[in-house]
Amino acid sequence: MVSLSRPNGARQREGIGRVFLHGFVLVLCVLTIFPFFWMLSTSFKVPNEVFTKEIMWLPKTPTLSNYPDAFDYFPVARWFWNSFGIAVLTTAGKLAISVPAAFAFARLSFKYDKVLFATVLATMIVPGVVTVVPNYVMVSRLGWMGTWQGVIIPSLPHTAFYVFLLRQYIRTLPQELIDAARVDGASTLKMLTQIILPNIRPGIAVVTILSFLSAWNQYLWPLLILSDFESKTLAIGMQFFTSNTESAQLWGPMMATATIAALPPLILYALAQKQIINTFVTSGIKG
Amino acid sequence: MDTVRKQTVGGMSATQPRRGFSWYRLREQSMPYLLVAPLLILIGVFIYYPLFYSSYLSFFDWNFVRPDKDFVGWDNYTRLLDEPRFRRSLNATWIYIVALVPIQVFLPLGLALLLWPIRKSRMQGAYRVMLFSPTVIAFSVAAVMWLWIFNPLQGLLNHILIDFGYSRVNWLSDRDTAIWCVIIVATWKTIGFNLLLYLAALEAVPGDYIEAASLDGANHWQIMKSIRFPLITPTFFFVLVTTVISVNDDVFGAINVLTDGGPFESTTNIVYYLYQQGFRYFQIGAASAVSVIVFFATVLLTWVQFRFVEKHVHYG
Repeated sequence: MVSLSRPNGARQREGIGRVFLHGFVLVLCVLTIFPFFWMLSTSFKVPNEVFTKEIMWLPKTPTLSNYPDAFDYFPVARWFWNSFGIAVLTTAGKLAISVPAAFAFARLSFKYDKVLFATVLATMIVPGVVTVVPNYVMVSRLGWMGTWQGVIIPSLPHTAFYVFLLRQYIRTLPQELIDAARVDGASTLKMLTQIILPNIRPGIAVVTILSFLSAWNQYLWPLLILSDFESKTLAIGMQFFTSNTESAQLWGPMMATATIAALPPLILYALAQKQIINTFVTSGIKG
Repeated sequence: MDTVRKQTVGGMSATQPRRGFSWYRLREQSMPYLLVAPLLILIGVFIYYPLFYSSYLSFFDWNFVRPDKDFVGWDNYTRLLDEPRFRRSLNATWIYIVALVPIQVFLPLGLALLLWPIRKSRMQGAYRVMLFSPTVIAFSVAAVMWLWIFNPLQGLLNHILIDFGYSRVNWLSDRDTAIWCVIIVATWKTIGFNLLLYLAALEAVPGDYIEAASLDGANHWQIMKSIRFPLITPTFFFVLVTTVISVNDDVFGAINVLTDGGPFESTTNIVYYLYQQGFRYFQIGAASAVSVIVFFATVLLTWVQFRFVEKHVHYG
């Protein structure tokens, strides 16, 4: 509306500015996705095209054989299954403990509620590495070395950001919704399951995706717990490549495996991008 | 946001008797605690208790396999101070903080401000997906992709250098360049999430503030400086604090895959040093002492930011 009253020249200048802006952003985007392109391109190359004198941007004789090869050289199918199972169960566990707590902190008043909420938020300033040694000792005492529960259960409490996000989201729900339930004499538990849950589905979806991504990509902790070659996740299976790169030079199958590891999170994010940002907007990162 | 009315527990008095014992009321009164209990118990067991446990372990000499631990007092701490490897790791830790914190805090902010004027464009979604894509993959996968680019013999980077008439560089095995390779990968990998937070913050700025200002004749830059930026300072502060806490944790995967802490430990930061002490040499006491130091250093750094930066933050 404002720009309508501006002189023609200004509008034209603005148009040129926008073209430059698009151009600049596009260059940054290309630089950002370039390593992905290079990974993909290599994953479709036959061995003698991987090492060439001239840079070969695209494979001349594209092949899919690196993908089955990857499954032959490394237990990629097992690694994929481990990544998937651990990510799903970690996400489910985090939701199961975070949603009820977020509801209580958002809508119920009880003794010590502020102190307890601060106790939860304070975990954000504890760097993950600080608890690694004692948790390793505990997990080995429990006999959980090399198991999924050894990876999953100690990771569950690292959920303060999601509790915070969900609490903010629940606080944006209209008060009338809660009041109506109260008048009807609904119990607290009913209020959570029948009023709150159906109304915070977008928030839950976002927390699910973020938590799945972080569990899928988790590195240090599973690296310590899952030492068997077969029991590794895709993320920590990558470490095996570095120890073998000089001798094996299997760059084709390696890039194929990296592609397999990168695809699920990329697809998941591309689908949910709008929803994630909308939830951040509604929740707000304010204290 | 403090206008949200909270429900008092046991407040179903409209339909329930006020006096006397009632199972219903007991359940209602304990419900909030039952709802927060699983979270708090797990936090207690796997975050707070380990803090105490590692302080305890830091006073012992123990290799994890031996059944008994030897009490050594402050030895683990005093020995660290004399250890050249520990000092070198502090040096690298410092380089990561000084290089990566400004990059991770300001670069995404700049990007968000570039994307903001063209937010209505059809390309916006595609831009966001592309710029965010490195952030959603595992650090180790990212590192393997870059390992191939940095490869000294066949890597793309050296290919391009040679094409332009330069000689090849051993990116990852030269102690002058290795740490910068880790920093490049970390930069590429981490700007996306903060970018998303900034974009959300910009979107949350109420449109009528901006409209009022532009009707008063404020230009783009003035609006940015006096309205948009002050209103996104809470996000800025959040990004700053969380980045300082996580930056040295974050690069672990990249160090592990790209350099394994080398060459000559030039890329080993305090987190990687802790990992090696604890899980390669099984010096549990020494590794615990490092944990305690990392914890207090982080608390101190966070406190400093709350003390000196937070007063400039504008809470809506």
